[in-house]
Amino acid sequence: MKTTTTASTHTEPWDVIIIGGGATGAGTARDCARRGLKTLMLERHDIATGATGRNHGLLHSGSRYAVTDRESAEECIKENMILKKIARHCVEKTDGLFLTLPEDDLSYQSKFIESCQAAGINVQAIDPKEALLREPSANPTIIGAVLVPDGTVDPFRLTLSNILDAKEHGAEILTYHEVLGLIKEQNRIIGVKIYDHVNKEEKDIYGNIIVNASGIWGQKIAEYADLKIKMFPAKGSLLIFGHRVNQMVLNRCRKPADADILVPGDTICLIGTTSTHVPFEEVDQMYVNPEEVDILLREGEKLSPSLVNTRILRGYAGVRPLVASDDDPSGRNVSRGIVLLDHEIRDGLEGFITITGGKLMTYRLMAEWATDLICKKLNNTTRCTTAEVNLPGSRLTKEEVNKKIISVPSSIRESAIYRMGDKAENLSCNTDIENSLVCECEEVSAGEVEYAFKELHVNNLIDLRRRTRVGMGTCQGELCACRAAGLMNQYSNLPANKCKESLSVFLNERWKGIRPIAWGDTLRESEFTSWIYEGVCGLNLSEEQLKNTKK
Amino acid sequence: MTFDTVIIGGGLSGLISGIRLLQNKKKCAIISSGQSALHFFSGSFDLLNFLPNGEKVAYPQKEINKLIKNFPEHPYTKLGENEFNKLTEQAEQLLKQVGLHVQGSSEKNHFRITPLGELKPTWLTMPQFAITHNDSLLPWKKVCLINIKGFLDFHPEFVSEAFKAKGVKTEIQFFDLPELDRIRKNPSEFRSTNLSIILDKESSREKMIEDFSVFSKNSDALILPDCWGHKNSSLLSDVMKEIGKPIFLLPTFPPSLIGVYTQQFLKDCFTKLGGTYMLGDSVTEANIKNNRVTEVFTKNHGNIPFKADNVILSSGSFFSQGIIADMNKVYEPVFSLDTDFLEKRSDWYNRNLFENQKYQQFGVKTDNNFRGLKNGKPIDNLFVTGAILNGFNPIKEGCGAGVSILTALYVANQILIKEQTYESAGQ
Repeated sequence: MKTTTTASTHTEPWDVIIIGGGATGAGTARDCARRGLKTLMLERHDIATGATGRNHGLLHSGSRYAVTDRESAEECIKENMILKKIARHCVEKTDGLFLTLPEDDLSYQSKFIESCQAAGINVQAIDPKEALLREPSANPTIIGAVLVPDGTVDPFRLTLSNILDAKEHGAEILTYHEVLGLIKEQNRIIGVKIYDHVNKEEKDIYGNIIVNASGIWGQKIAEYADLKIKMFPAKGSLLIFGHRVNQMVLNRCRKPADADILVPGDTICLIGTTSTHVPFEEVDQMYVNPEEVDILLREGEKLSPSLVNTRILRGYAGVRPLVASDDDPSGRNVSRGIVLLDHEIRDGLEGFITITGGKLMTYRLMAEWATDLICKKLNNTTRCTTAEVNLPGSRLTKEEVNKKIISVPSSIRESAIYRMGDKAENLSCNTDIENSLVCECEEVSAGEVEYAFKELHVNNLIDLRRRTRVGMGTCQGELCACRAAGLMNQYSNLPANKCKESLSVFLNERWKGIRPIAWGDTLRESEFTSWIYEGVCGLNLSEEQLKNTKK
Repeated sequence: MTFDTVIIGGGLSGLISGIRLLQNKKKCAIISSGQSALHFFSGSFDLLNFLPNGEKVAYPQKEINKLIKNFPEHPYTKLGENEFNKLTEQAEQLLKQVGLHVQGSSEKNHFRITPLGELKPTWLTMPQFAITHNDSLLPWKKVCLINIKGFLDFHPEFVSEAFKAKGVKTEIQFFDLPELDRIRKNPSEFRSTNLSIILDKESSREKMIEDFSVFSKNSDALILPDCWGHKNSSLLSDVMKEIGKPIFLLPTFPPSLIGVYTQQFLKDCFTKLGGTYMLGDSVTEANIKNNRVTEVFTKNHGNIPFKADNVILSSGSFFSQGIIADMNKVYEPVFSLDTDFLEKRSDWYNRNLFENQKYQQFGVKTDNNFRGLKNGKPIDNLFVTGAILNGFNPIKEGCGAGVSILTALYVANQILIKEQTYESAGQ
């Protein structure tokens, strides 16, 4: 089920057209589809490519916001409990610690605990010695520790599950479809002008309600309707380490600042984030710079000293879709609250709403608010069920899935269930060839790659990485990238030269994240990658790709 | 332990200088930590494909003066035109002497065919590997590309697409043996090294002849991934005779069998000539007195020093840890030799992976005789060769193997001349 042409042949207008394929867009598509609306979701790149895929993957308990932003904290803890149930295959219940270091003010701890309790978050101060027993990688010099119900969430899996559920309920998903403009008739938005990057063509699509769920890019979408939404782009940089140093989320117990959260996830852990205001014009070009690397390493080491000797895999940066409210230069004090704009009321423009602000944690609630408003406008009275019904992948228990695919070799089976939840049952009739390993770091099989290409809207190797973790492990795609490119040729309808092109784009994208931290073993691997791909294989970027990278 | 020369690093460069010295009756030891860049060898040695400014080189011998005139830091510039030409011939001779019957010459580059079907200029290519002498023309009208069923480290589709663009028709076929199912059961075992053990068995000969004659019916040649013929050298030539069509090999993704084989072959030459090859050992520290290396200590030999008149450092680039980068600098870990690198880390890289990455030119500084510099001064008996050297980009210029081999021969010759001078002075 790759991108289809249904949209272009569809004559009836859609009930809802959602612009943006991040968690919020996908969540809104799910909610709308479940309430029986004819739903189309458009995404200009791949799903989860904006802020959704460029954060910690922290399943916030809300503690972090308790002191400064009570409303967000309350939303967080509620959604935390919902996601632990409906998206259990995307979530790890790791719990977290808020650590007070000797250089921090211990009196902040009591204020923190008080605020958490007031927001309904169940936290508990524990003896630093006990904290170190629970999490041996934590800094041994801590003078205070608070246990919080933080966890981790895989944003790629979460977004995909929402999309799969939306599709099960009849929604249409079009990735690589970019909105170029909004179609306006008198005081109403009636459709969107889009560019299909796959088939390289422009078309107009009509809908009753157009939802702007495009995160930081929402400012630009609103401009197409001559509306002004002032976003506050705050860049956040993070570093990924090559193995999982900590089992629990580690936070600094102080006012939010640079590099004060260390989150475990899959086989890795990551430290973040920095926060700097960037001009809106630059939001598509985010690079981690050496100063940010220095800060993240210096501060990260304070949470867990063993990070110093842990290999860094890559750095990446995202842009928080904050809605500007004052002239705070760091963006840290801008509300993380949800912003739902009914442009009919706000600007006298019908058929157009914007859902923005918020956080990955509250994506479902944002979707619920947006869908409630859409339903009100369309006189649909179906109630929201997204908090009650488990997402695809989370419907069976691990044991139940395990039984279904018991014939798959155990190493592949375990990682497939971990990644795909009950969707791993698609691998049940794999042959030996489908069970061969594509990515040895992350134990991804050829069968899983095949399933992703055929069923999960994968257009290129970078999309494949987001679905399967191919190339996310220690080698950062050194060997698996070429294997995956070969399979891409087999499983997608794309010709060999397109797959080759996808391979060089993939490697270049990996390099973007490796470059800021390319010393030591990382530089060794990079040199090896260049020798293999450019040297032995003679791979290069095409003229067109070169032009794009120079832009 | 006392030797005439101790060589640190058992890759291409170290082995070549070792063999050259042993051929001249010198007592040599190589200390090798294990894997070398030969393990991802393409099957071809490059000499010089491009100048540092990107200008194409077709005739290395004739065009070397352009490099020498304009790029003073390059190892080839230190050799000079005459020496460069003399050494390339010596290298070709040495490989022939030891029994590596390679194709090509330093007068004119030929083209190797990459695992993706691209053509890349090169100097010498291993026998049986596919080459062409014209970069826009392949020597076949139609070829049959064969892969092993389920092998993910070779993709004939890419080769096919590139061949079609050059007007060559292709056909893709898959070869299989019942015995291969055994390694298919273990998802990570289906790699070139394991495959070759089964494919090279005498028992596969019959199936090969049978299948390959059908596959090659309408083709001028058969092209296979490099998974055959290393354990059973007559297999491919026998099959060729039977089916009456030529068979060529293409390199695969690592592990490169031809690389493993070449490393092993050269190592065997070295030990047969009487060399001592310390595998899995690495140098921990060294003593320098009166501007000479007096002792070298290794991990496995603890406080028993290696002593030698001359020491050659051929420990490779970043990958082999001949040089190491930390957040702020690039250093050479054994002797703390002077290194050449840019101050600001952000200057080390280009944003596009496929453009010139400056870090690849970093390395150890030497004088014009390839003696390692420490605090600006050459150490009398410490020579540096191969990928660890500064001033060249092995990938962009296509000169990695050439620098490794030529500097190794140059240094070995220097050592031999020096000894001769000592000997004649002593007489």
